[in-house]
Amino acid sequence: MIWSSVLPAVGASFAASVVEAVEAFTIVLAASTLHGWRPAALGTAAGVGALAVGVGLFGPLLAGVPIQILQLTIGVLLLLFGLGWLRKASLRAAAIIPLHDEDAIFATHSAGPGEATFVHRRSGDWLAATMAFKAVVLEGLEVIFIVIAVGAGQGLLIPAGLGALAACLLVLLIGALVHRPLSRVPENTLKFGVGVMLSSFGVYWSGEGLGIDWPGQDAALLLFVALFLGAGLAGTALVRRPAQEVVQ
Amino acid sequence: MMLLKEIGAELVAMFVGDARLAVCVLALIGGVGLLVHVAGVGALAAGAVLVLGCLAILLESVRRGAALYDRQ
Repeated sequence: MIWSSVLPAVGASFAASVVEAVEAFTIVLAASTLHGWRPAALGTAAGVGALAVGVGLFGPLLAGVPIQILQLTIGVLLLLFGLGWLRKASLRAAAIIPLHDEDAIFATHSAGPGEATFVHRRSGDWLAATMAFKAVVLEGLEVIFIVIAVGAGQGLLIPAGLGALAACLLVLLIGALVHRPLSRVPENTLKFGVGVMLSSFGVYWSGEGLGIDWPGQDAALLLFVALFLGAGLAGTALVRRPAQEVVQ
Repeated sequence: MMLLKEIGAELVAMFVGDARLAVCVLALIGGVGLLVHVAGVGALAAGAVLVLGCLAILLESVRRGAALYDRQ
């Protein structure tokens, strides 16, 4: 196992999972504030269960896909995903679009869909459980994709998966202790870093899938990280606006 | 059913948040594939096109995103 490829894979998986887990936690916490912890916990458990079934059903299929097709597919998806994150993080860092605000998201979800919808306690419980379920499934799918994307191509699924698991447990632990939205997580910085990592892996795997042997093999990743980091920062500097001009 | 539709839409948005960026990336990958397998361009040159192309797509997308928000 080469550390130059293990550390970026585990680091990208960990950082991306922190972001996704914080987003899911905010919505689950809002659901539990609305209707108590039981429907939120049920929705969360159902979401985790659905993800586990999905991984159990489709995970083994990965082994049957020819490696070059797997590399190209993962590379393209990573590029789409990573460049999208990096673009948005650059625009946020440049104060073009507002930062992701967990407190505001919590307030929006806590407000719920309106009093009239909650005439019956049972229907309110169902909505809270559905809200938690959807958040866990959507954010969980992103975590699973990232783990597969950074781990599958080089036999690092287990380390990448452990990185993601550690991130989810860490967020859950801190969230349980503070019992409020984790708004102090430097989410845009993490997204910027993850966007850089995912885009770098995306170029690497797309190239490998197209038959390009990168000079220096895994070490080429470090060059890609430097280039995407530089481009992201350059993009931010290029379009930066004074803070008071941020579009709300 | 609505829930599945919403989850499906979010999944698509995960990869195609910006349609033009997605089309450019796919066109670049296709173009580099042609360079390698049809035109017989060397791996290093094709790799350079891929990397520089991605960087250019990113910068253009950030610039276009900023211009779009300015217009709004």
